[in-house]
Amino acid sequence: MKNSNTCGRHAVALNRREFLQKSAHGFGAVALGSLLMREDLHATGALSRNPLSVRLPHFASKAQHVIFLFMTGGPSHMDTFDPKPELQKYDGKPLPDSFKSDGLMLQFMKATDGRLMGSPFKFQRYGQSGLEVSDLFRHVARHADDLAVIRSCYHESFIHGPALGLLHCGTAKLGYPSTGAWVMYGLGSLSDNLPSYMVMSDGGFRAGAAVSFGSGFLPAAYQGTVIRTEGAPIQNLTPPFEKEEQRRVLDYVNRWNQRHHTERPDDTRLEARLANYELAFRMQTAAPDLIDISKEPAATRELYGVDKGPTAKFGRMCLLARRMVERGVRYVQLYNNDWDGHGECAKNHESNAERVDQPIAALLTDLKQRGLLENTLVVWTGEFGRTPVMQGSLGRDHNPYGFTTWLAGGGIRGGKAIGATDEFGFRAVEDKVHVHDLHATLLTFLGLDHERLTYLFEGRQQRLTDVGGHNNLFERLTRA
Amino acid sequence: MNRRENLVLLWVGIASLACAGAAEPTRENLDFFENRIRPVLIERCYECHSAEAKSLKAALRLDSRDGWMKGGDSGTALVPGSPEQSLLIKAIRYTDEDLRMPPRKNGGKLTEQQIADFEAWVKMGAPDPRRGDAAVLTSSPITEEAKRFWSLVPPRRPAVPAVKASKWVTTPIDAFVLAKLEEKGLSHAPRADRRTLVRRAYFDLLGLPPTPEQVEAFVNDASPEAWPKLIDSLLASKHYGERWGRHWLDVARYADSGGYETDIYYRNAWRYRDYVVNSFNDDKPYDRFVQEQIAGDELWPDNLDLDGSYQLPEAKKRHFEARVATGFYTLGPQVHESNMDAPKLAYERLTDWVDTTASAFMGLTFGCARCHDHKFDPFTQRDYFALQAVFAGSREVEAPIIPAMGIADFKQHYPRVIAASEARKAYRLFEAHTRDRELTPEEKQKKQRLLEGIANAVLSMPESTAHDGPFDGLMEIPTVSVLGHERPELVPVIHILNRGEIKRARDPVGADLPAVLKENSRWEGALPGPFGSRKQLALWLTKTNHPLTARVMVNRVWHWHFERGIVATLNDFGKMGELPSHPELLDWLAVEFMTQGWSLKTLHRLILRSSAYQMDSRFAHEANLRADPENRLLWRANRRRLEAETIWDNLHAVAGTLNLALGGRPVAPPLTGDEMPSGNWIVSADPKDHTRRGLYILTRRNFRFPLFDVFDLPVNSVSAAARDVTTVAPQALWFMNNKVAGQQAREFAARLVGKPGQGWNEPDFGPGQTGWEGKASGVHAGWAKRVDNGHSTPSFDDPIGTVITHGMSSVLWKAPPDYSGGPVKITGGVWNIRQLGRGGSWKLWKNDRDLLTEAGIDDASGTSSRPFGFARGRAGAEALEAIPCAPGDSFRLEILQGDFVGVNFTITSATQTNDLAAAFSLAANPTPAGWQYCESLAHGGGVIGKALRVERTIALDPVAWIDRAWRWALGRAPTPTEKSESLEMIDAFTKTADVTKETGSMPDALKRLPKEQAAALTKFCLSLLNLNEFSYID
Repeated sequence: MKNSNTCGRHAVALNRREFLQKSAHGFGAVALGSLLMREDLHATGALSRNPLSVRLPHFASKAQHVIFLFMTGGPSHMDTFDPKPELQKYDGKPLPDSFKSDGLMLQFMKATDGRLMGSPFKFQRYGQSGLEVSDLFRHVARHADDLAVIRSCYHESFIHGPALGLLHCGTAKLGYPSTGAWVMYGLGSLSDNLPSYMVMSDGGFRAGAAVSFGSGFLPAAYQGTVIRTEGAPIQNLTPPFEKEEQRRVLDYVNRWNQRHHTERPDDTRLEARLANYELAFRMQTAAPDLIDISKEPAATRELYGVDKGPTAKFGRMCLLARRMVERGVRYVQLYNNDWDGHGECAKNHESNAERVDQPIAALLTDLKQRGLLENTLVVWTGEFGRTPVMQGSLGRDHNPYGFTTWLAGGGIRGGKAIGATDEFGFRAVEDKVHVHDLHATLLTFLGLDHERLTYLFEGRQQRLTDVGGHNNLFERLTRA
Repeated sequence: MNRRENLVLLWVGIASLACAGAAEPTRENLDFFENRIRPVLIERCYECHSAEAKSLKAALRLDSRDGWMKGGDSGTALVPGSPEQSLLIKAIRYTDEDLRMPPRKNGGKLTEQQIADFEAWVKMGAPDPRRGDAAVLTSSPITEEAKRFWSLVPPRRPAVPAVKASKWVTTPIDAFVLAKLEEKGLSHAPRADRRTLVRRAYFDLLGLPPTPEQVEAFVNDASPEAWPKLIDSLLASKHYGERWGRHWLDVARYADSGGYETDIYYRNAWRYRDYVVNSFNDDKPYDRFVQEQIAGDELWPDNLDLDGSYQLPEAKKRHFEARVATGFYTLGPQVHESNMDAPKLAYERLTDWVDTTASAFMGLTFGCARCHDHKFDPFTQRDYFALQAVFAGSREVEAPIIPAMGIADFKQHYPRVIAASEARKAYRLFEAHTRDRELTPEEKQKKQRLLEGIANAVLSMPESTAHDGPFDGLMEIPTVSVLGHERPELVPVIHILNRGEIKRARDPVGADLPAVLKENSRWEGALPGPFGSRKQLALWLTKTNHPLTARVMVNRVWHWHFERGIVATLNDFGKMGELPSHPELLDWLAVEFMTQGWSLKTLHRLILRSSAYQMDSRFAHEANLRADPENRLLWRANRRRLEAETIWDNLHAVAGTLNLALGGRPVAPPLTGDEMPSGNWIVSADPKDHTRRGLYILTRRNFRFPLFDVFDLPVNSVSAAARDVTTVAPQALWFMNNKVAGQQAREFAARLVGKPGQGWNEPDFGPGQTGWEGKASGVHAGWAKRVDNGHSTPSFDDPIGTVITHGMSSVLWKAPPDYSGGPVKITGGVWNIRQLGRGGSWKLWKNDRDLLTEAGIDDASGTSSRPFGFARGRAGAEALEAIPCAPGDSFRLEILQGDFVGVNFTITSATQTNDLAAAFSLAANPTPAGWQYCESLAHGGGVIGKALRVERTIALDPVAWIDRAWRWALGRAPTPTEKSESLEMIDAFTKTADVTKETGSMPDALKRLPKEQAAALTKFCLSLLNLNEFSYID
């Protein structure tokens, strides 16, 4: 091997049938057996053969799927999942002198410029656990005992673009792969006729959002595919003429390609290209079928609220997320726009919560009923939280120093809160969880070791978690 | 690490952690320390307990092993092997009220995981490599061994090895390649056939397909000089610079915008792109190319002041071009959304500059030394930040590209800006006044007037002629983004930063070059500080005994020719990179490159003339495949998957729509609704710009052009070495279903059928325009067809012998829009018209529909009874002027920029047999440079007019189409089987076509066919574009 002094990622390419057969005999046996025959993807050019073939995880996984709910703009943690009684007390007052505010650089203001602003939303205890959730998320709150709320998240950027990068790629730098891309690279695709990494938004994408589902320096095969929830779901999916005609065109193409390949038998790329035409052809049916929810029963439609005003869009996305998981899609990313409450933060949050609360709750309910929640990790977060101090009249500025993420499913023992922000919610102070820690945790659920999931780029074995990820929460989340 | 060791680490790793003891720490234990302990110590403890602490607390240092062994005020900090007896563990557990570390004000208690890690670490004996007093890595990366690493020692010219099969050796390259093959007992592939070679050379050097004539010309040229001649002609093409410039743009992480959410637009980045293209075309010596990019401003300072003439002296222009080169540094990624943290932004810019410089020019992963001394190569953090200090005095500036006089002209026109602004303000006021109500009829009129006022004010702004390209810069002083100097008092002091974090500054450093490289290249000069150090850096890099510069570039060139570098990791010549497959060859090439004056074109010739380059890629020798499956030793050619832009170019070239205009602002072709990004994609107004070469398509950092995205456009935030070649389903979807693919298939089909009066046309002619301009291709059409028929090239003096039948054709001279020379003299005339049958007429067409003039043909004499028609068009004028000219007569006239003169005619005959002949001519003498559509016809003093032979344009001749289609799309004729399959396909699809489902715009030529046949032909064309053979070049 060329790089004797590093432990790179070594993955095994199996076809799906093999994968399922081997899984049936227990993971340990497969893992050990396959480790003996693993090969370096790059050294053998296996990537160009089929970059998406199923690969085994590093260890037994808890979850096969991830549904990542991204609240674009940055929801206020003090108004949703992180109650701050002190903040209520200090409402309207400046930050006390005793509060150390140095280093709290914000986008539009100095931390000491504004007065503290309590939350207008009531927090209540829910479930057996008594987890506190604000009225904005009263539907999701019904699942309190399934949620693990991490109140001590933080990272380094108070600006949307870089923060988006940090949340998804572990870095503010451009050109790095998104978490979903890393997962595709690590595990391959479970679906034979759909992209395995799908992305949806209820209001388009903020400019630059593509980094959050891009493949960066990883091969392009690992990037997320944007799915439109109505009409033609994927780019270039509609044939320019009748499908039967296209089939016949492809038969000629295949015949000529076969002949061309016969004279160049050892070039696997040519073979892969042949196979991809067939996959593409199947996708043309499978993708429209995926987004056709007309056959979903009325009760399900009602649960998600797909037929009523505010919840229609995000409800449909959540329902599609479940349908994707059912079809083997591994990584689903949903964007809700837009929580950027610089103006009237409370009003903004009310309207957003009205659109997502019921659908998200429905998704959790539905996944659970179908036994899918056990092997699906659901993540809820945004670029950052918001400031306890007021921006302008009733707004809150960006706050990357402390914010909330919650997780559910994938065997998580819910009903718990991890970490804490200071008395006002400005900074994470206890059990701090960096985005690298979140990513390390997420990968662990999927059976991937964040220190071993590496790719050589710019002379380094790069990781999603860079040199961090030490506060892996996996054990604690899955423990009672 | 071999597999077994890896396995052990994987499965027994945890057990090994438990094996505590004071014995020498194992590798796994040290890894544990490096990954889990050291980062936490640095992050959470060093602030108070290290050499860098402002005031050391409790006299305890945790930044070295000695530090914690010695302990602090409270005694020994930890007892290896016994967490329970270790004070440090007690402190971090927060169990003792009086001893809680880190304190709450510094972030409070460690995480549970971190605490557990510390316990495990102490338990395993607290392995810690940090010996001595150093706060950084214990061992310096600079060892004697590291200093002698092959790539860090200047190259020496090795002897060319002796080989057995010396007949194969055409250049010394072959001797090096063959020596390795013979050593391993591998056989080399035979020479590829000529058809393969010509296609390979065109795509490699120009990124464009050869036309069928170009293929045949080479295939039929038996001369031993045919290959070198071909190489020379391709290297002389302006399209060479576009192709190879694009390679360099990957290295330079080129983009037209800054990325992130706001994606600020770099309006001048294209000037750097054009600089690169021109540099390649001019064969600018590579050392000069490097110098200009790094320090053009410091090496050739100059201004654009006029000096008694409006014509700038050549030297000044050259110096200014060198300055444009520093645009290299101005087009990196940039956050713009908030500038609240200015020092951080400045630091990110310096990081981009230094990392890109090291990657692009030295092939080093120097960026690794930003956070710590390089782990594998002999570079320290001091080296890294010293290089940042080289750039510390520099900043981006906007330099006007016109003299002060020109700038003043803009000021003269400034009232027009005010006029536009006032017109807009008037409209806004009106709008505010009438908001939320119905307008009265008078108000509606007023609104219209106000809007027109804005339009008129905007239209009256002067257009800047200094702007190349299609974008009309509204009153914008044309500038270019380059490097300049910061004001001295604003130059920041550069510090070594712990872990590369801006808030952890250590000692200040001055500008300097990396110590080991400096020593190995025997450089003794000192750097002058923030100003002028870039100049020294540039001069040092281009010294002939710099270990890396030449090696790295010849390796890149090798990679771009062979799909694999001699060092496969193009941007990593360090220890983590791959070793060269042919080290002697690399050094020989590097030294030869420098000896030949750093000439890239000489290097190309050397490589392309070698037997190694000309090998067959299909050679599948079994023993070779077993011994060297990756073809590292180069026993055959590597098949090339076309790159993203080349796929675009090839597609349009084959369809005959490629616009080969050179340079200028980036263009934005239209996208479909679901491809459209959220903003900033302003579709170019001129349809001709929609089919420019891929190189010219706008490169935004936060939006990737859809086709390029699925075909592995590299990341453009850092220097990109090699492109990926992935094979995924979205690529197939694109080719099957994308609108561009479908439309080009249609254009391709139309091209086969021929426009009215058109047979084949060259891709050089640009997209299918309407009217006269589009008819330019007629000239080539007739000529090409004759060559194809095996006739000799017709000469001006012997115009008879080509038969024109029922059809329509044209020929014209048009001065290109950028033509700036004087008037060009055109001579035209009709030499003969002969009718072999009876009846018929000449028609002179203004465009596809409108007749300009008509001439009957005298039955008896076979000559035109009325003047044979030529016409001229003047720039900007709608109407064409007919030029009377009877057979045997001639005329002379002059044309200027934008003018054209041509003939466009139909001949009909009653019998519709090959019974009409005509010959005419249009000659330009002398032929002006740059009028490229004449190049291949320009013989005998610039004759372009030819007797034309045109197919019966209505005749349905699928057999002829099929042959042309394969030749155009794949560079070869179809085999008999393929021919009959193609025919069968077209026939079958003609029968089943459902023409009601057809979408997309139908080119005129296709409209002339029955709809079913047009649809069938389009599908056939689309299938050819989908073939592997279209995207993979042998």
